[in-house]
Amino acid sequence: MRTIDIHAHLMPQCLWKTVDAGQVWHGSRYEPGAGLGAVVRDGKRIPIQSPKLRFTPEERLQDMDAQGVDVQVISIHMPLVGYDLEPAEGRQLARDVNDEIAAMTRQWPTRFAGLATLPAQDVGAAVEELERAVTTLGLEGAELDTVMQGHTWDEPQFLPLFKAAEALGAVLFFHPQPQDNLVLARTDKYGLANSIGVPVEDALVVAALIFGGILDACPALKACIAHGGGPACFGMGRMDRGWQVRSEARLHIQKPPSTYQQRLYYDCITNSEAALRFLIDQVGIDRVVLGSDWPFVQWDPSPVAWVQGLQSLTAEEKSKILWENLEQLLGL
Amino acid sequence: MRSIDIHAHLTPQCFWRTTEGGGDWHTIGRQQDARGRQYAVVGGRRQELPPRARWTPEERLADMDSLGVDIHVVSPYSGFYNYDLDTTIAAATSRDANNEIRDMITSWPDRFAGLATLPMQDVPAAIAELERVMVQLGFKGAMINDQVNGRTLDDAAFLPFWKAAEQLGALILFHQGGGTMVSSRLPRYHLPNTIGNLAERTVTFASLVFGGVMDACPDLKICLSHGGGYTCYGIGRMDRGWQSRPEARQHIPQPPSAYLRRFYYDCIVYTEQALRYLIDTVGVDRVVFGTDWPYDMEFDWPVSWILSLESLTQDEKEAILWKNLERVLGL
Repeated sequence: MRTIDIHAHLMPQCLWKTVDAGQVWHGSRYEPGAGLGAVVRDGKRIPIQSPKLRFTPEERLQDMDAQGVDVQVISIHMPLVGYDLEPAEGRQLARDVNDEIAAMTRQWPTRFAGLATLPAQDVGAAVEELERAVTTLGLEGAELDTVMQGHTWDEPQFLPLFKAAEALGAVLFFHPQPQDNLVLARTDKYGLANSIGVPVEDALVVAALIFGGILDACPALKACIAHGGGPACFGMGRMDRGWQVRSEARLHIQKPPSTYQQRLYYDCITNSEAALRFLIDQVGIDRVVLGSDWPFVQWDPSPVAWVQGLQSLTAEEKSKILWENLEQLLGL
Repeated sequence: MRSIDIHAHLTPQCFWRTTEGGGDWHTIGRQQDARGRQYAVVGGRRQELPPRARWTPEERLADMDSLGVDIHVVSPYSGFYNYDLDTTIAAATSRDANNEIRDMITSWPDRFAGLATLPMQDVPAAIAELERVMVQLGFKGAMINDQVNGRTLDDAAFLPFWKAAEQLGALILFHQGGGTMVSSRLPRYHLPNTIGNLAERTVTFASLVFGGVMDACPDLKICLSHGGGYTCYGIGRMDRGWQSRPEARQHIPQPPSAYLRRFYYDCIVYTEQALRYLIDTVGVDRVVFGTDWPYDMEFDWPVSWILSLESLTQDEKEAILWKNLERVLGL
């Protein structure tokens, strides 16, 4: 029995050292204010929602022990990803972050694995950094936003990145911006950008990968979607109907989109047992993995205990979610 | 056994007639392409119309007979909301379309009931038209968009509308018109419809709940089309947002899940598992029959599909097909 968590965020120590000295870290600076203050970048405030965002690796390990998490697969807190930067600076940001994550995995190889940050604003540089991260640094893959400066991943310029990930055996973990996503075009009230915008972005990236033909072009691609893929599995019937009746939906795929959803992985952050059961029944138990969204979700007492306590899952299903699926996917 | 369809649209015959010789219907024109496909031209936008949108009431009735649908609760085509046009134009198209539905109800009172379209960009005008159709024309309510020129319906300007709808006993059906929030992000693969509609409906649920409209109007009757979008599946994250964020608790003392049963939801979710999930989440007395006639996204043979579902009891099928709407609309 182990527990492996695919969804664990990092605000790197190299950022804190720089901004606490009053300097700018790849476009980010610290701004004191309500609560724990905020990091401001690209004209947007990223509130520091948890003191754990400043944790050192040692403090993080203590927190993992308290939550019963053996391994965290670390990825950057998505608002820091820096796709807006000039390519050279974006490349340097990615290297700094990836070097820090790699150092964590080297020092505590049984406790940490890593997902790289990539400068996707320059696809060639992103491919190079993914190769470096996987072959030189030993990371497991990379984390990508659900959108890149308004561009979606089905656009042809990104195909070399997916081909490279497939060839490297790298896992791509897709995660949206929690405060800055497409729901803001409709409303900025009640925190709906987070509570609705995040899962809608997750569903859209599922659709982009499927309808864009990426899973056909890269049959061995390993991709995991945060937050259970949002409501993609629940809304798949409507996507299937759209595929039946609209030629533009059939542009890249010869089979209905629902037949592709078992090709992706999904973390278990569905916020309800009924939704998780529905996800498992739609995509298969081999495709659902443990995610905690550390440190943003206040699990009581822990994400592991939540999964273990679910009435509608068998013991075998729980083991697959808690560790077996990720052990196999990541080769941990 | 009956079947009552809450989600069935009308592209009014008055539009087809007045545009026949190249004329316009309150500034709205019509074009035809080389293959004979018909388009409405609204404020410069070309909107494709499906072949059945042109059918007369008699042809519609024959199709309803074939499908086994007894009653269409008819609502005007959402492409004619006209919220972004002059109020006078939207008021005129609303009156024309609503009057035509009134004529259908008068001619076939056992087969048609009515939901109005309203000039929502002008709240007093919208209230006046809602009063007219409810009091004088015998309508059951109205169908409106998830947003009015970018404003969601929790905007304080709309509270008088909600109070009027509540007082008149009008059922308000939510249905997108024009683009959705997905249109500018990912316009390909029909996703502005297949994901966008569901995202918009979820935001509408949340706006009315988090915005306090459902508390301010306890007797308000709202139906969310397309099964309420992602509302039932995504309610857990909305509850978590309510627990963890003060701005989410600004207007409501209970978590959003406590409001699920204040809404009605049509059954257009396409898969048995999703429909079962919806029923189990909101209660079978809140799920109503809808088909999206006459568009390509309607589901095939809707009555026999419901009847064939193995995971629903006979009572549940009857509640969805007619009993719930019979009760809610007094049909």
